[in-house]
Amino acid sequence: MGYVLEVAQAALALALAPGLAGLIRWLKARLQNRRGAPVWQPYWELAKLFQKEVVVSSNASWLFRAAPFIVFASTTAVTFLVPILAVPLPFDGLGDLLVVVYLLLLSTFFLSLGGLDPGSPFGGMGASREMTVAALAEPTVALAIFALALAAGSTNLGQIVARTMADPGAFLSPGHLLAFGALFIVTLAETGRLPIDNPATHLELTMIHEAMVLEYSGRYLALIEWAAAVKLFIFFALLGNLFIPWGVSVVLTPTTVAVAVASLLVKLVVLAAVVAVLETRIAKLRLFRVPELLSVSFVLALLAVTSSFLLK
Amino acid sequence: MDSLFSQLSVLGSSLVLLFGLILLWRRGISAYVGAFAAQSMVLSAVIAIVGYFGNDHELYWVAGTLFLLKGLVIPRLLRRMERRFAVEREMEPYVNTASSLVVSGLLVLFGYMVTRPLVGLSQLPTRAGMPLAMGLVLVSLFVVISRKKALTQVIGFLMLENGLALLAVLGTYGIPLIVELGVALDVLMGFLVMQIFVYRIHETFESIDVEQLNRLRY
Amino acid sequence: MLGGYGVGAVGALLMPGGRAGRGIAAFGMVWGGAAGLALSLQVLLGGAAFTLEVPTLLSIADGLAFRLDALGAFFLGLVGLLAIPCGVYGFEYVGAYEGRYSLRLLGAMLNMFLLTMSLVPCADNVLTFLLMWEGMSLTSYFLVLTEADEPDTIAAAGWYLAMTHVGLALALAGFLILAANATTTAFGDLRTAAASLTPAMRNTVFLLALAGFGSKAGIVPLHVWLPRAHPAAPSHVSALMSGVMIKLGVYGLLRIGLDLLGGGPAWWGALLIGLGALSAVVGVLYALMENDLKRLLAYSSVENIGLVFIGLGAGFLFLGLDATAAALVAFAAALYHALNHAAFKSLLFLGAGSVLHATRTRDMNRLGGLIRGLPWTAAFFLVGALAIAGLPPLNGFVSEWLLFQSLLPGIESRAPMVAPLMTLAVSVLALTAGLAAAGFVKAFGITFLAIPRSPAAECAHEAPVSMRVGMGILAVACAVFGLAAVVVMPALAAALAGSARLPVPVPGFGSGVSLSMPSGFARMSPTLVALGLILITGAAWLVVRLFASRWPVRVSATWGCGRVVQTPRMEYTSTAFAEPLRRVFAELYRPTQDLSIDFHPESRYFVQSIEYRSEIVPWFERYLYAPLVTRVRRWSIWVRALQSGSAHAYLTYLVIALLGLLTLLIVRPG
Repeated sequence: MGYVLEVAQAALALALAPGLAGLIRWLKARLQNRRGAPVWQPYWELAKLFQKEVVVSSNASWLFRAAPFIVFASTTAVTFLVPILAVPLPFDGLGDLLVVVYLLLLSTFFLSLGGLDPGSPFGGMGASREMTVAALAEPTVALAIFALALAAGSTNLGQIVARTMADPGAFLSPGHLLAFGALFIVTLAETGRLPIDNPATHLELTMIHEAMVLEYSGRYLALIEWAAAVKLFIFFALLGNLFIPWGVSVVLTPTTVAVAVASLLVKLVVLAAVVAVLETRIAKLRLFRVPELLSVSFVLALLAVTSSFLLK
Repeated sequence: MDSLFSQLSVLGSSLVLLFGLILLWRRGISAYVGAFAAQSMVLSAVIAIVGYFGNDHELYWVAGTLFLLKGLVIPRLLRRMERRFAVEREMEPYVNTASSLVVSGLLVLFGYMVTRPLVGLSQLPTRAGMPLAMGLVLVSLFVVISRKKALTQVIGFLMLENGLALLAVLGTYGIPLIVELGVALDVLMGFLVMQIFVYRIHETFESIDVEQLNRLRY
Repeated sequence: MLGGYGVGAVGALLMPGGRAGRGIAAFGMVWGGAAGLALSLQVLLGGAAFTLEVPTLLSIADGLAFRLDALGAFFLGLVGLLAIPCGVYGFEYVGAYEGRYSLRLLGAMLNMFLLTMSLVPCADNVLTFLLMWEGMSLTSYFLVLTEADEPDTIAAAGWYLAMTHVGLALALAGFLILAANATTTAFGDLRTAAASLTPAMRNTVFLLALAGFGSKAGIVPLHVWLPRAHPAAPSHVSALMSGVMIKLGVYGLLRIGLDLLGGGPAWWGALLIGLGALSAVVGVLYALMENDLKRLLAYSSVENIGLVFIGLGAGFLFLGLDATAAALVAFAAALYHALNHAAFKSLLFLGAGSVLHATRTRDMNRLGGLIRGLPWTAAFFLVGALAIAGLPPLNGFVSEWLLFQSLLPGIESRAPMVAPLMTLAVSVLALTAGLAAAGFVKAFGITFLAIPRSPAAECAHEAPVSMRVGMGILAVACAVFGLAAVVVMPALAAALAGSARLPVPVPGFGSGVSLSMPSGFARMSPTLVALGLILITGAAWLVVRLFASRWPVRVSATWGCGRVVQTPRMEYTSTAFAEPLRRVFAELYRPTQDLSIDFHPESRYFVQSIEYRSEIVPWFERYLYAPLVTRVRRWSIWVRALQSGSAHAYLTYLVIALLGLLTLLIVRPG
């Protein structure tokens, strides 16, 4: 039964992710006084891309063609490990929060290599910037994980969720809130949202993620775009379910699963709205100001860890 | 009840410290003034909470004075100074932004280690916030030594006062009203003196960059 | 084992050269390596130690004595494990030296090097240990000097020799203090005598051992020989040096600190963590900025040794705080990382050697596009790069996960400085993991992908079979060490159990395919993660193939924003790739900048040429070593005055020394 749930959870993630990206886009459009494309536009885009012709650079090697699959696979693998609907999961013993983080780093690694392969300067630029941002976000993520793990007694995701559910007062604890702040900034960094990277830009010199995928087309591009949307979904699910876990089902019955799906949707919509408002309000940072922002998130995570062992 | 008090006090102290960190992150003086005003308001809220849970009504007066003086009056004076000196941003501090933030994190850790014995001895439910207050004191000192503009240093000094007040409140449930009034008056006098100095610096050098003071040697 | 290396050494000397000579040398290495590996596995898994004494040989200082216990067996196994692929690889690689350098000397020295390295962990008294250690240093010195025609080699070998002997002197001092109260210098006696040493003496011994063995391991600031010597040596030698020799520094520290002294106060651990963190960050930062492929790998070794030292430090710290179970896990995690590093670093060095063999250059700015000419090398190098970046499901990830998990209990500790220290260690660990990933995207991407940047890179050819086999063995080893973590960890813990106060019944580390911490804190399964990844990739490929492949792939030129032709000058270079990080960490790097602009004589608005030069000189070399070297030079000029060449002066020295000794006899009779 649990395994069916695992597969269902992953399928749900894959199915909802493009919609999430579409929702943020639509909300931004509305905030900017435009009508905006409908929320399910990304689904049409993916379908279209899968049917289109693929053009590959003459300089590229087998790595270029393999990278989209590896990126997609590692992001999808994470959806099996993250508590989206229910806790505990049968795959809990497979990987904890550290495994999740490093699997996402694996996808970034191959995306960067895929950017370097065609030999275009934009790809190299995107790869170098992306690896810089990823490398500087790592300490924050590790410390935020540790702040959560300290409170819960384990880096195991199911246990973290269970522990927060058992102790509602912990929600207000500064360690919790600071870790949330730190992880929120890291989410923006890793998923390529403003103020770190503008997902809607068409100017190559301002791109980070888009520059790496400039050479991809057709089904390869579809896989990469889908993987990016799934990554966004994963981060939102983590932010929602690790910090505000009420709604996640503990005992597997149809009603609890339905409640879990509903609460997940609510959390996703709220987070999407926050991100949309944020993206409309603030401008993109210059690349060399991004480390400052990441240092802020590092200090927040550091404070989260100190608070965690302050209150003991 | 007790744990709610404890949580609120730690929450308040964290916010106070976080506003202090804005001095190291942002570059515009108006951001600093806003952060200082917000910090003082949160501080007065924390003092009021301590007064409520600790059943000490004097603290309400302290909170009120702090709110008025440091939350409203001084920020208004600072904004007036800022307008007069045109907008000068902290563009090249002695320690760059990312490093300053990392150093401030380390200073907070250091503050934690320094106040550990105090926290161990104290029985009050507010003791968990003391390391954060100590951290704010250290971070304010760091702001004073690593920033070049005189206004930033003034604001850093004012935040230092806030940190000390927070430490006192959390550690001993506040200080007698008379002493607090005396300190407030001190601060106001010191502030007015500094205002005069900054004005003179600006008159002489057309800038409030403290580095320019070493031109006085020649 | 002796036979194997012996045959290799002697045979290489006797053979006149050519394929047979190389073959004998390689064969000797493989045989010796296999024998060593077999012996070590027997001791590790069997449990009984293996002893051999030859008291009559060199009978002053108690003769030679060998004893292989579990701890030594691990390091012996490491040597044996790496000797095999490097031997196979070397067979074809040194073919390039035919006629230019002496292959006999190379083969003989290499076998002797492996022999002495194998015997260091077996040593059971001070003399044997130092003898083997010195042998290892000397043979490796000659090995580094192999390519004596290259300009930097001699200087590099000089630095190496100097630093290794300074390290030896310090370690010797440590041993002598340790042996002060003991009857003989056998390790067994030292162990029992250590109990009666004063804390001050124990601290001194530890610090001397740290300095001496730390310089061999490559800890900042004693690491400066590493980025010079490793690139200068032939590639399979670099692989051995980086993979095994620096781990023997770790062995020395463990032997003295853990085994003989039995652990110490918690500040030992704190010091090790501090030095380890410093080395990790410094190593990875300088690795990022390097354009020379082998120097990048050398700095990366500094980084990984830093990580091992963090694990060791955590172990000593927990031991000092009497948390023996946590200490065991921390030490085991450190050893695991040492093992993994040996595997993937040697693989990377062998890959770099293959690149060097094919293109004659190590400069990444002249390489590129090698994935077409050297497909196998590229694939193996990719495996190595994934492993060293710590990405699942390979071995690097497993050992980094274990290091994280072993540090976690420390954050909860009540002891004063432990929690902040652990927090800092965790941040450093994460930061280096991220930066290492960035560095190896650069190393692999710039070297192998995109368009060749020079004619040499264009006509590169694949490595010969033996080199590929050597690399393949190591690639498989990387995968195996990652997937078989459940088996490896208990073996490592068994190697340490029994030393000092570490608990003897080794706790379980999970079952089946799942690795878990003994305290039940966390679980993960590299095998299942690997399986899952393969399955999902396969499924995705299949689905796309079936449903979305209406159009075949069309090959065309890279999109260039409207430009007509693409040249290699338009690609990203290795310097360019690392530039954002260079800016972020500019305060630490302090690069020098030199801009010279040639203006047209007629007008300053026209520019004839612009030259920009920026260099990063490691600051400890500028502020620590440069003054030190100048001072040593000045002293040596002054001391040279003693060597006046006059027989009278020398006789006078003799007489003075004699009088001095006689005075000593008068003052302290008996």
